[in-house]
Amino acid sequence: MFTGLEFEPTRLPPEAEALRVEVRDFVARELPPGYWPNSDFNEGHSPDFSRRLGQRGWIGMAWPKRFGGGERTFFERYVVTEELLAAGAPVSAHWIADRQSGPLLLNYGSENQCERYLPRIARGECFFSIGMSEPNSGSDLASVRTRAERVSDGWVVNGTKIWTTDAHRNHYIITLVRTEPPSENRHAGLSQLLIDLHGEGVTVRPIRNLAGGEDFNEVVFEDCFVPDDDVVGEPGNGWAQVTSELGYERSGPERFLSAFRVLVEFVRAVGSEPSPGEAALIGRLASHLMTLRRMSISVAGMLQNGGSPVVESALVKSLGNDFEKLLGELVRLQARPGCDRLERCLRQTLLHSPSFTLRGGTREILRGVIARGLGLR
Amino acid sequence: MNRLIADTAERIFSDHVDRRVLDAAERGEFPRALWDVVLEAGLHLVGSPGSGTDGGDLYELLKIAGRHAVPLPLAEVLIANSLFDEDGLTTIALDGVAPWGRVADRVVTVEGEMSVDFDVTEDANLAGEARDRIRLRNARRVDVPGQLVERIALSRAALMAGALDRVLSMAIDYATEREQFGRPIAKFQAVQHNLAVLAGEVAAARCACDGAIMSATSPNFGVAVGAAKARIGEAAGVAAEIAHQVHGAMGFTHEHSLHHFTRRLWAWRDEYGRETHWQVQLGRRVASGGADSVWEFLVGVE
Repeated sequence: MFTGLEFEPTRLPPEAEALRVEVRDFVARELPPGYWPNSDFNEGHSPDFSRRLGQRGWIGMAWPKRFGGGERTFFERYVVTEELLAAGAPVSAHWIADRQSGPLLLNYGSENQCERYLPRIARGECFFSIGMSEPNSGSDLASVRTRAERVSDGWVVNGTKIWTTDAHRNHYIITLVRTEPPSENRHAGLSQLLIDLHGEGVTVRPIRNLAGGEDFNEVVFEDCFVPDDDVVGEPGNGWAQVTSELGYERSGPERFLSAFRVLVEFVRAVGSEPSPGEAALIGRLASHLMTLRRMSISVAGMLQNGGSPVVESALVKSLGNDFEKLLGELVRLQARPGCDRLERCLRQTLLHSPSFTLRGGTREILRGVIARGLGLR
Repeated sequence: MNRLIADTAERIFSDHVDRRVLDAAERGEFPRALWDVVLEAGLHLVGSPGSGTDGGDLYELLKIAGRHAVPLPLAEVLIANSLFDEDGLTTIALDGVAPWGRVADRVVTVEGEMSVDFDVTEDANLAGEARDRIRLRNARRVDVPGQLVERIALSRAALMAGALDRVLSMAIDYATEREQFGRPIAKFQAVQHNLAVLAGEVAAARCACDGAIMSATSPNFGVAVGAAKARIGEAAGVAAEIAHQVHGAMGFTHEHSLHHFTRRLWAWRDEYGRETHWQVQLGRRVASGGADSVWEFLVGVE
């Protein structure tokens, strides 16, 4: 009998639930009246809002206090993140640093790196981008060609990263590079370097997406010097580190809430007495959301217990992304004409929807990860 | 759940539920020998007062029963015994239909009638499970607890969660053994991706079911059950479709045992409210609070 993918039933502890009200009050106070909620964690880059979140202790919540963290649980972090997403708050600036760059530094970085970066991240003053994809390396991440060559005291980096969200307005990028030429073991010889996006030898060029936004970029490194102090973890250990990072990247509520505002506006449009068809649709979507939350909370529990739920995270993301796409499509067919707010939301979601099943690992890659977890490959 | 009960149930069902028993049950023969073993082990009292077990154990037992397609009215017996402190074979009727009414000692209806005297017209669901038409005589009123329908709906959710587990492991085993083009079909990416989708639905079903079980004593029990029954019903359809596709024509034969599980999934998703029934109920609840309370509602169901 196959018994993998356990997903222990997990309930949010009371101290986590207690944060909900605090976050809602905070958001209600901080966001201006008439604020149009973002429908996605990638939209809404507000260093100001991030700083105020940092002041509340809601960034780096699970990190040690000596690095500016709150020593709180992954469950508490879960509640804060899902409340911010549900409210459509502008969280993009600190999102990646809080979600994965900080934890990566904690797990693999030096004491010195933790001291230098974590407190600033936790204060909401220091934002990170992810340097993984390249023009010729998307899903096949191990094929990255950005090279770092050894010089005295450090490394010199040459190459190009792409689809780098917010590189034009963030401070640092953790960059996956080849520090040894490719060998038979294609996962060997990769390393992660922490690079100043505003430093010498780094050029950032925005790329316009089909929705008209300019969130992602091309980042070009030309003879960019990186001191030894900014190597994250052991040189050569990059693949293991990147893989562990993805466990954080893939299981959170941002993987199933990108179309949540569409549901909210649909409920507004149909009013308190929906037709049976409208009610069934709302109920169907709610049953999916409630289940995805349970799964995501279960993964938060695994992270809390020090686990590395790579397969489970891939599964949550895969289900969540498919749901995000389904939500918009189903609501579109049931929407009554003339509901401006709903139409605006639908349009916004549809225009961003191609990215849902691409970013953070394509649907195809995720299914491959799950298949490996099932013992098929 | 209680490890001892789980192990006992697993052992009894593994030893006593096989093709022969399942086929005989489909021909209308009650599996008496299996029932006697269940009685002897006391499994029929799991979740009953004084048994040292609770409602959570009851539904965990049903998940195990679902994994083995146990051809007994175990859900009805367990729920009736836990509610009415009975210990024989009590079945529960909804809209005049009761599982294994033909061999029951007594029938309780969800509307709150009970009798040991009733007419039976034998019938079956699409999985060939006995679903008999019942007409009570000399019925007496009994107090049925609130949300009896929800409790039984959750039993179907738990049975489905169990059967889904089984269907996944059967599909994985088959894909790993069956060779085409010189290699196991599990090595083909197209098959792997279908199995990954299947695994996602199975995991979602398990989480939805566990969530509803967890909320057993909460005021949100009904909402959690509705969401679980609706979500798992969807999962059942997707999973059965993929499992059959992976098994090819072999899985379409009567000889292969896959259909014992997939036909049950198809039957159980319709019993005690198919997806739309629960979706409409849930959707009305969500909408009643208004757009700005949708989120509050969703996270409040814990």
